[in-house]
Amino acid sequence: MKRTCTAVVREVGGAAVIELAGEVDGGAAGPLNAAYEQAVTDGPATTLVLDFAAVDYINSTGIALIVSVLARARSERRSVVASGLSAHYREIFDITRLSDFIEVFADLSTAVGQVAGPAA
Amino acid sequence: MTSLRQPASTPGRRLAAFAVASEPGNERLALNQVAAAVASSGLTPARLERLKTAVAEATMNAIEHGNLSQPDVPVDVEVIRRGDDIVVAITDRGGEHQPAGPAEQPDLALKLEGTQRARGWGLFLIRNMVDGLQERNDGQRHTVELTMRGEGDGV
Repeated sequence: MKRTCTAVVREVGGAAVIELAGEVDGGAAGPLNAAYEQAVTDGPATTLVLDFAAVDYINSTGIALIVSVLARARSERRSVVASGLSAHYREIFDITRLSDFIEVFADLSTAVGQVAGPAA
Repeated sequence: MTSLRQPASTPGRRLAAFAVASEPGNERLALNQVAAAVASSGLTPARLERLKTAVAEATMNAIEHGNLSQPDVPVDVEVIRRGDDIVVAITDRGGEHQPAGPAEQPDLALKLEGTQRARGWGLFLIRNMVDGLQERNDGQRHTVELTMRGEGDGV
């Protein structure tokens, strides 16, 4: 059964986290773009964390959406990191070279810890 | 929606044959049925994931580029054991066509610059996921054959 993509925005350790769930395909465009808007409107975050821990499918259209988000973020001088990718989708990030532009962390807590840096 | 299909022309021992309607999202039905068909074939989990992605992308191409997303035009899927190899044949009714639109090599740097469209990853993913990719057509039916070889780290 299809699991429609959802994207929830929250701030964790000073980073804007977009928690994705379900299927990142063509249907993810609305939720992902809306989440991006919310993330950059709600605060001055310079780093966005895309968390894929609850994502069970990404197709080529989903890859294109991620490329679009990355392009927009770079044009606005924001960085994008990723967390929670399965081994398979981590491989796809490598093959497509997304991992050259999006640092990939094993899980959200590690990503947020790296983005936020050491506590003062 | 899926339905059983009569035997097609791909040689080998048939593990499954079915069709999906040309509607967005039905690639998930295809990949799930292919995964079930090859469950006992010895594919390693990593290679099964690769095959699933290739099947999904090839089915999407068949739906969109071959059958032009006409729901009443089926995409036929056949799963074959050919020696040690697993072969998945995906057939649309589009005749000769580019299986995934323009055959340009996707270049992420160019996409980020905006000089190449963000889409265009389908065929690239297929080629990188499977050991073999072949196409054939008879002027009306266009078939993509995906092969996972039975060598190396398992099938």
